[in-house]
Amino acid sequence: MQKALHYRNLLPSSAGGSAIPPPGDNQSGSVNLRKLVADNAVVVFARKGCCMCHVVKLLLNGHGVNPTVVDVDDHNEGDVTDQLSRIVGAAPQFPAVFVGGELFGGLEQVMGAHISGELVPRLREARALWL
Amino acid sequence: MNPTMMNSTSTQFVPSRRMGIYEPIHQMSMWGDFKGNNCLDASTPMILEVDPKLDNQSEDTSHGTVGHSNKYDQEASKPPDKVLRRLAQNREAARKSRLRKKAYVQQLESSKLRLIQLEQELGRARQQGMYTGSALDASPLSYAGSMNPGIATFELEYGHWVEEQDRQLADLRNALQSTETGDVELRIFVDGGLRHYCDLFKMKATAAKTDVFYLMSGMWKTSGERFFFWIGGFRPSELLKVLLPHLEPLTEQQRLDLGNLAQSCQQAEDALSQGMDRLHQILGAAIAKQLGEGNYLPQVGAAIEKLDDLARFVGQADHLRQETLQQISRILTTRQAARGLLALGEYFQRLRALSSLWSSRPRESS
Repeated sequence: MQKALHYRNLLPSSAGGSAIPPPGDNQSGSVNLRKLVADNAVVVFARKGCCMCHVVKLLLNGHGVNPTVVDVDDHNEGDVTDQLSRIVGAAPQFPAVFVGGELFGGLEQVMGAHISGELVPRLREARALWL
Repeated sequence: MNPTMMNSTSTQFVPSRRMGIYEPIHQMSMWGDFKGNNCLDASTPMILEVDPKLDNQSEDTSHGTVGHSNKYDQEASKPPDKVLRRLAQNREAARKSRLRKKAYVQQLESSKLRLIQLEQELGRARQQGMYTGSALDASPLSYAGSMNPGIATFELEYGHWVEEQDRQLADLRNALQSTETGDVELRIFVDGGLRHYCDLFKMKATAAKTDVFYLMSGMWKTSGERFFFWIGGFRPSELLKVLLPHLEPLTEQQRLDLGNLAQSCQQAEDALSQGMDRLHQILGAAIAKQLGEGNYLPQVGAAIEKLDDLARFVGQADHLRQETLQQISRILTTRQAARGLLALGEYFQRLRALSSLWSSRPRESS
């Protein structure tokens, strides 16, 4: 059971106060992704129906994590890519996984960390795990 | 002379050798050549088994002029019209014989050309490396039909990779058996061995860009290895199961770590397998859209885009293999890792040997 956010239906959130939208982010209907990744322990950006994304979700679910999934489609891809580029410093490849507000990587990085045992501590740090 | 072996159109006596005189000499000698050793037997008429249609093979070059004088004597004593009739029949028989011979020779000529062509193709294919180092396999040339240069390169490189692998394993075995080999030297072997596997994964990534279906099919591996195939290569969890008994003695911590690794591997494999199933469905659905209209370009075009995903999957599976190998080497001591690499290498060698033996076993006659 993960929360799949339908991008266009999200309203800019001002709950809890102090989120300042980054400059240039004032288009109506655009979600503040910087805030989104900061507020959620694990966020996955992926194209709808992407099979790699499916694998990432399965791996994370296996650890008991419910990631926030943002569906990227033709309409919002440009905006998402822009915002993420500004956050990360480079254009991201999808699926893109953010843990604890930072870009963790793609399927390869998640898988690598999963095998090497580094994934669980990172998830714990980001308070993504209940235990 | 055995009249019963003659051509049915001929009469009691041997078809006259006089006919032979009218034929160009080179044809006769070619014809003679074909009979091979039988030429030497002057008295026995030959029947060439090669082409049953040509049933007038019984002419023998060495009959030569010997029969000539006999025929003249025989003919002089018979009534003229019968003689004329027989002569006509002989001419007819000889004409037919010449035509048949001509057809036969043409058939042989074109077969010869075809053989030369095939030999050339074979030579070219061998050069391009269709014949991989591991092959006594049943179908090393299965891809010869529509050769993709990227795949040809890959097969060639893979053949070299296997040869190098065999060399490294032999060296490693010697090093482990010698009591003088220290950890420093073993470390070099281990790092070299791991790097060699990495090289293979890089080769596969390049090949996947040219033809991912080929990689997924495993045709570059032996049939035994294909039996254990999973997304373009070996199953990492399988690897651990193979290695575990050969790594003893293990510390408790190592046992724990390896257990965790086995579990992580299994989870990762399951996730990738499910992702592949998804891709199957998506690809299948894309191709199956709107069947029956005769036009296929839009659907096939959309499906081709999905093949990029497939190539990425093979890449992810290889990455899993690589990570698993790295993690194993992190958990183990140098000596254990060296023994593990040797065991792993021999395991694959055995699979390849299994394939060779199986494909070269004597077939029972049915």
